[in-house]
Amino acid sequence: MNMFTQPRSVARAGDEKDGPSVDGMKHISPIQVAGETPVKMPTRRALAKQQTRAKVLAAARRLFSEFGYEGATIRDIAAAAGMSTGAVFANFSDKSDLFREIMASDMSSLADTMREAAGRGRGVEDCLQKMFAAGYAFYKSQLPLARAAFSVSWAPQDGPVLRSAPQVQILHDLIAEQLTLGVQRGELGQEAEIKLRTQMLFEAYLSNYPQAIFEGWSLDALQARSRDQIRILLAGARRG
Amino acid sequence: MPVDAAEPRRILARSPRRPAEAAGGRHAQKEATRTRVVDAARELFDTQGYQGTTIREIARHAGVSVGSVFTCYASKGEILSEVMEGRLAGFYAELDRVVPHLRGSTADRLRSIYAIFFAVEEPGTKLFLSHIAAAYDWTLPPGAKPYGRNERIRELLAETIAKGIAAGDVDPNADLEGFVELLIAAYAWTYQMVVTDGADAKTMSETMDRQIGLIADGFRPRAS
Repeated sequence: MNMFTQPRSVARAGDEKDGPSVDGMKHISPIQVAGETPVKMPTRRALAKQQTRAKVLAAARRLFSEFGYEGATIRDIAAAAGMSTGAVFANFSDKSDLFREIMASDMSSLADTMREAAGRGRGVEDCLQKMFAAGYAFYKSQLPLARAAFSVSWAPQDGPVLRSAPQVQILHDLIAEQLTLGVQRGELGQEAEIKLRTQMLFEAYLSNYPQAIFEGWSLDALQARSRDQIRILLAGARRG
Repeated sequence: MPVDAAEPRRILARSPRRPAEAAGGRHAQKEATRTRVVDAARELFDTQGYQGTTIREIARHAGVSVGSVFTCYASKGEILSEVMEGRLAGFYAELDRVVPHLRGSTADRLRSIYAIFFAVEEPGTKLFLSHIAAAYDWTLPPGAKPYGRNERIRELLAETIAKGIAAGDVDPNADLEGFVELLIAAYAWTYQMVVTDGADAKTMSETMDRQIGLIADGFRPRAS
């Protein structure tokens, strides 16, 4: 039995993502009435809430991977997490919110992995190659989830929301940063069209996932293809 | 047996006075249902989008039972695939007519091909995006052809670039498949601009033209 487990009315209070806010509280817990210190309470409650969220996210991740985005319902996710649909809705506004949260945390880790890989490269082409290779390796073990993500990213409603997520912007920025460094080092000309090239490099990176998802391409095959694509997309910007 | 609006015709087709035509009639009946379902689905997808349309609504709009829809199609994704096949047929006819007459540099010929893409698909943009989304969905049957794995478009693009080798503006060692892949990726992204920026066919064409220029830099013969 977990010492942080709280009555549901308490766990629900304050739905803000960054933890419960006292102002937004709709339920007063018996403990609070008893006068527990205001510092300790939110921490306990935040922990309980965090655990609930983690449980829902883990179940959602499993179901999205198994049945796809369309195929997994909130009801199924709640059942898999061992809680009511109400408890799920207390933490997430809807299925797309749940999915975005999973993608956001994955993409943050992905960005860290890619940044670190780019740091090990020499020259703009090598840095981009290492960066993309790290991305493929990151998702290789969770291709079904990647497949669900692609499905969502193309949907007319949810797609633009997912694609404009700050975490996606970070991936764009990482690519743009490498191109800018390439210009500064004199590898690429001043007219490198960084914005358009960044977009094209990112789309080229994504375009190889279907080969991995549907054709079972190996990491080596993905890397080889992506190396060629990077070379092609940089060709016009090269100096001399 | 489900009773639906198409029932009287099915009974007619099985009329004992015309036994020889019974089997053919049943086949024709199924074809008629398919046509009605696809026509109804096309209209609903265009007006309320793919995600917002249910099989039940398609059945009602087509005047058939939900059961009859499922005897023809396994899923909504399969109906979408069929709707898109119909759209693409007209598109291919247009390409076959125009492509042999294209002149100019390889990049310009590719630009002309994509200008046709955008012009033909502009009215059904959202449906096209749903079509791409469905390619990753679990409901799509193995036989359906999602975007990007369409052999005919890939061949056409590869041929267009290959022609440039003979004309001298494409490197003879160019990896054609790799270039086709890049073009498809660039095109698909450009299509997203419709939903993200409300771009029209002209804006998309201009963006695509710049991207083709950038890709063409990559297949230009190396000066040695």
